[in-house]
Amino acid sequence: MFYQTPLRTAVLLLFTLACIYAAFTAEYFGVEILTEIIILAMIVLALDLVAGFGGMVSLCHGALAGVGAYIFAIFTAKLGLHPLLAMGIAALITGAVSWVIGTICSKTHGIYFIMATLAFGQMAYSFVFESSYLGGDNGMAGIPRLDLSMIGIDLFDSKQFALLCLACLLVAYLFAWRILTSGLGRSLVGIMHNEKRSRALGQNVVQIKAQVFALSGLILGLAGSLSAQHIMFISPNLLSWTHSGEALVIVILGGLGTLIGPIIGAAAFVLLKHEVSNYTDHWHLIVGIILIIVVMAGARGIYGEIEHRIAKRCAKRVQKEQAPKQAKEKTKEHSLSHAGLKKEH
Amino acid sequence: MLEVSDLCKRFGALEVTKNVSMRLEKGERRVILGPNGAGKTTLFNQLVGEIIPDSGSIKVNGQEVGDWSVEKRARFGLSRSYQQNTLFDGITIGESLGLAAAVSTSKSMWFWKDSLQDADVKAIVRDTAEQVGLEDNLGARVSDVSYGIRRQLEVGLALATRPSVLLMDEPTSGVGPEMIGAFHRLLGRLSRELTIVIIEHDMDLAFDVADSMTVLNYGEVVFEGTPGEARESEMLQQIYLGAWDDA
Ligand SMILES: Nc1ncnc2c1ncn2[C@@H]1O[C@H](COP(=O)(O)OP(=O)(O)O)[C@@H](O)[C@H]1O
Ligand SMILES: [Mg+2]
Repeated sequence: MFYQTPLRTAVLLLFTLACIYAAFTAEYFGVEILTEIIILAMIVLALDLVAGFGGMVSLCHGALAGVGAYIFAIFTAKLGLHPLLAMGIAALITGAVSWVIGTICSKTHGIYFIMATLAFGQMAYSFVFESSYLGGDNGMAGIPRLDLSMIGIDLFDSKQFALLCLACLLVAYLFAWRILTSGLGRSLVGIMHNEKRSRALGQNVVQIKAQVFALSGLILGLAGSLSAQHIMFISPNLLSWTHSGEALVIVILGGLGTLIGPIIGAAAFVLLKHEVSNYTDHWHLIVGIILIIVVMAGARGIYGEIEHRIAKRCAKRVQKEQAPKQAKEKTKEHSLSHAGLKKEH
Repeated sequence: MLEVSDLCKRFGALEVTKNVSMRLEKGERRVILGPNGAGKTTLFNQLVGEIIPDSGSIKVNGQEVGDWSVEKRARFGLSRSYQQNTLFDGITIGESLGLAAAVSTSKSMWFWKDSLQDADVKAIVRDTAEQVGLEDNLGARVSDVSYGIRRQLEVGLALATRPSVLLMDEPTSGVGPEMIGAFHRLLGRLSRELTIVIIEHDMDLAFDVADSMTVLNYGEVVFEGTPGEARESEMLQQIYLGAWDDA
């Protein structure tokens, strides 16, 4: 079950402060990287929501974010709608598309689920690639940014745009947190741990999975419309399956099923990419090696590993304190969860 | 309350359910006996919808449920426990019971509020935990506790959905005499409104709790009657090869 532990809150606050600090101190290129991290963080957050808490390993989350970007572009650059309205529409339509994909794919499991989501992602990719209305492989340019000059915010200033993205990421986090601590989210985690039993208890498995997939899609739609505004140009490449694969790598790198972990993973991944590519073109190789290390070390990911170690230490301390008591009442079984910090799916 | 008519199922050449019919009144407690491989578990699987019978009908409270999904039957009040523990390993016992209780109180699809923090859900979790003797284990992870406790949870989950028909598949399999005793007492405390079917190998327990008995052998109902009649039956003595003496 998901619990927003103090450690998670602390890490989220630290991350937020670090982003704000970076936004104010970094140079132009640094702020661009910051924005890239934040938008990517939203995508992997959405992926962790379904993969880490519902066992739905989606290979179309990158493509769905791309769908959000295209919808935003259509409603602004083509139809001239207000960007704020277009952002809402992009989120809703991406959510609806995700619901359809979720409903269909939730009937499959394991590798078949992965393949089914991949197929949907590829369909979206080729649709966009071949649509002349959407500019085909040339993509679409002239995408506007949200105009918040009314309240004194200039989003053409990269720093202010980065901060807007940060605000959206925080909203997305709160949203995911809320979902995971709702009846729906609890049921989803139950389904991940035992789908057969969940059914026997009367849970509507497909509906629950599809709904959370749709909610995850809302976040993706928002992330997509931010990425369209960020570059102000989009191309089908945005929907390429490699982005979805990358998102999965980041979730595992950061800590599957921890919600905050993937955000840290996104920062680590993007920073690593830019740092390493200064020295070599083979940065994928480095990421690959790190991923293998993470998986071999227990697959808990960067943040998951930290959480795991702290929980272990706390459990040890609690056990020490209780050792004299336990001698008296040997029968009482002791549980790790007293530490309150251990990884709670 | 539960009416099964002419249920048939084959797995290839194996006829695992042969024209099984039975009828339970509301509040009746039926024990199903039969040697290993007789088709008892497969019968349960068909009742709850995990396996689709080749033919026959299943009615719960007068309603034909044969073409309903597992989850729809469960929400209609048909609940089961498994012979092989089928639990939520990565979460706690309290959370597991909470998931079951959330379904019975229609809070499992709540969008915004926490089902596990809901007062009604918590009340059911407390009651159920008390019923099956898990009050002290609610915070423990399912994967961390002993087999006996997992067995108690197996029944607890089925109870926490607040069913009207409860199917229990060898609830005491693999546990010691003191837990069989505890389970016996649990049955004594359960509402007499609840219709119960138990697959049970412990003869003392079986004869004590049963209002009626059904014996399956090679997928067929070979006996149906009261515990008293069962004791007298020579055929059953043969099937059980003297196991009767324990009863
Ligand atoms: N899914 C299945 N496919 C093929 N054979 C099965 C399947 N499930 C059960 N069987 C067979 O059906 C018979 C009855 O099994 P079961 O219902 O588990 O018996 P019981 O619960 O009475 O011990 C066994 O011979 C078993 O091997
Ligand atoms: Mg069996």
